[in-house]
Amino acid sequence: MPLSAYLIMSAILFTIGSIGVLARRNPLIIFMSIELMLNAVNLAFVAFSSFLDSADGQMFVFIVLTVAAAEVVVGLAIIVSIFRTRRNIDVDEMNVLRG
Amino acid sequence: MTNLSFGVLILPLLGFMILGVLGRFMSRGAILAVAWGACGLAFVFAALSFLSMIGTPVSGRVSDPTIYTWVVSGNLQISFGQLFDPLSATMLMIVTGVGLLIHIYSAGYMEDDPGFWRFFAYMNFFIFAMVLLVTADNFLFLLVGWALVGLASFLLIGFWYQRRAAVAAAQKAFVINVIGDFGLMLAIFLIFINFGSLNYQDVFGKLSPSALGGPTATAITLLLFLACTAKSAQLPLYMWLPDAMEGPTPVSALIHAATMVTAGVYLVARANPLFELAPVALNIVAGIGGATALFAATIALFQLDIKRVLAYSTISQLGYMFMAEGVHNYTGGIFHLTTHAYFKALLFLGAGAVIHAMGGEQDMRKMGGLRQRMPITFWTFLIAALAISGIFPLSGFWSKDDILGSVLAQANATQNPWFYVLWGVGLLTAALTAFYMFRLFFGIFTGSYRGNVVTAHNEEEEEDEEDGRGEASPRPGHHAGRVGYYDIYEAPAVMTVPLVILAVLSVIGGFVGSLALFGRPQWQPLANFLASVLAVKAPTISFALGWLSTGLSLALALGGIGVAWLLYRGGFEYKESRNPLYQLVFHKYYIDEILTAGLVNPLQALGRFASRFIEGDLLDGGSRGLAFLFRLSSTGLRRLQTGYMRNYALIILLGVVLIVIYYAVRG
Repeated sequence: MPLSAYLIMSAILFTIGSIGVLARRNPLIIFMSIELMLNAVNLAFVAFSSFLDSADGQMFVFIVLTVAAAEVVVGLAIIVSIFRTRRNIDVDEMNVLRG
Repeated sequence: MTNLSFGVLILPLLGFMILGVLGRFMSRGAILAVAWGACGLAFVFAALSFLSMIGTPVSGRVSDPTIYTWVVSGNLQISFGQLFDPLSATMLMIVTGVGLLIHIYSAGYMEDDPGFWRFFAYMNFFIFAMVLLVTADNFLFLLVGWALVGLASFLLIGFWYQRRAAVAAAQKAFVINVIGDFGLMLAIFLIFINFGSLNYQDVFGKLSPSALGGPTATAITLLLFLACTAKSAQLPLYMWLPDAMEGPTPVSALIHAATMVTAGVYLVARANPLFELAPVALNIVAGIGGATALFAATIALFQLDIKRVLAYSTISQLGYMFMAEGVHNYTGGIFHLTTHAYFKALLFLGAGAVIHAMGGEQDMRKMGGLRQRMPITFWTFLIAALAISGIFPLSGFWSKDDILGSVLAQANATQNPWFYVLWGVGLLTAALTAFYMFRLFFGIFTGSYRGNVVTAHNEEEEEDEEDGRGEASPRPGHHAGRVGYYDIYEAPAVMTVPLVILAVLSVIGGFVGSLALFGRPQWQPLANFLASVLAVKAPTISFALGWLSTGLSLALALGGIGVAWLLYRGGFEYKESRNPLYQLVFHKYYIDEILTAGLVNPLQALGRFASRFIEGDLLDGGSRGLAFLFRLSSTGLRRLQTGYMRNYALIILLGVVLIVIYYAVRG
């Protein structure tokens, strides 16, 4: 398959992920969407890696995976502690920083 | 010798720091141990180095070690060094010696004061500052010491800060002294421009009429003398000293009579090579000195507050010292400084003992007949009064005589009629001095006690005082009120011992002067000792003329005492006179009133205007306007902060898209 097919797939996934982040109010879904965006980028990396015959892209994928794992750990912890204090995790309810 | 003089400087500073930090937690005994210890050790060190200096040959008597280099900037190098030479050694002896006696005395005088530790902390600080002033080896550290003694004076005048009059007096002293400090600073700038150095030895080493133009030398010396007029309370900047009597009496004795106010005399003597290059400035020094001597003596004639009489007397005697220095007789100035330190400190301490016994009363009209109640004070005060009047053979006789003789010698040498006038002024002042001192003496000690006589005038005066001093704030430790005659007791030993020591010094202190009048011209220890620093050859006087001057001054002094005896021997009786001349003098020539109307009030009005309009409306208004502008803009902008996370995410996304588009389009 040509490179463009992978990149189009990656772009579609990224778009779905970003729409999810913007449209959904449940932080768990938002998290999943962020994962989707990250993996879209990973797909592009791998595709380029194969196309250019270089291992650099795959290395970046590992780094991204690591960061994503760490981010999920922190993010879930924050969500849990917010839920404990507010009994509610709707992101639209969390607007105490409104000017 | 070096380490010793450094110790003289550092010990009072240590004492001040200990008392300043820990004083409030210390017992009275511990406070006294620190304060007396610091001052006493300083005196011991000063005396040891003084004695070792007498033991060294004349050539080796000057030491000028650099303790550390403070500023190096281009060709400006300022190091802190201590100049230890005969002049500073003499000054050190006076400062630490009289200082020690007054420290001891203060333990009795300030006994009941809640600010006991504060008082001694300030006193030690003063000794430190004064030692710094007289041992600094360059003009900059002289200025540092000069300003620090001013600060010590300010703190101690305002020591009873609950009283409005004391605070006002402290401010007055500080402000007037700053005028002098300003003159000193300008003089220092001029010296640096012309010599490239501020060190005494460098500056005086480079002096020659060719190196320094006459106008420059005149400008420098006049600016230096401006500083002296402020610090030493000469015309026209004398006004702060009488008000400074608001401070505790030991402070008046130490700072405002014996030591600090003589700093100006010291400075002129120290800078004598400069002054010698500026004959015009020297004439001005002599003229101001003479004018001040007479002016202050006339005011002292009719004052009723015993401390004010002494204050004006101090101004007058300082005028004598400047008169001597103005006619090249620097040794005479320093000599009179020394003897004056003894007898004026004694007078103030005696007055302090009286005030202490009278429960804070300073008005001569309410005293009288204290001779039987306070015999030691009586006798020591009598000695001091005789000494300041210049009666043979007490110390004041020798120094005053020296000064008058040198003025006459200068008049003879220059044939300038003004110097004859100056000599006449000196003689007249001697007579006035004797008169007002004995008016004071008889007023306090003879006649019958007037303390519990209440007259209408007294009442009125009391009310005035209440107004001036604010409500319910009598001197702490001194409860104002009438004291019965039999409630008056001699001061405790801690106060009378310094009185006796000072009385002995007032008697014998003059014998270091010259005995030329008595056919022994080689006997002049002080002049010989100071000769290496004050090497100026003043014109000398013939034997006969010397006796003429001495005889006249002695006769006039005796005459002054005689008049006082005739008028007041049976006790002082106050009669208000309507004579306009009397009124003029009694109100101190209305100088304070004129200054208040002409200078203080307009300045205060200007200050109020500035704080109201310039600071209030202009500066504050400006910054308030700016704040208003920001508040206005932020009320609009804060709507951007919705608090919805998804809005922020959308904006981030849009931003990223825009960046991507930008790079995509640009290629």
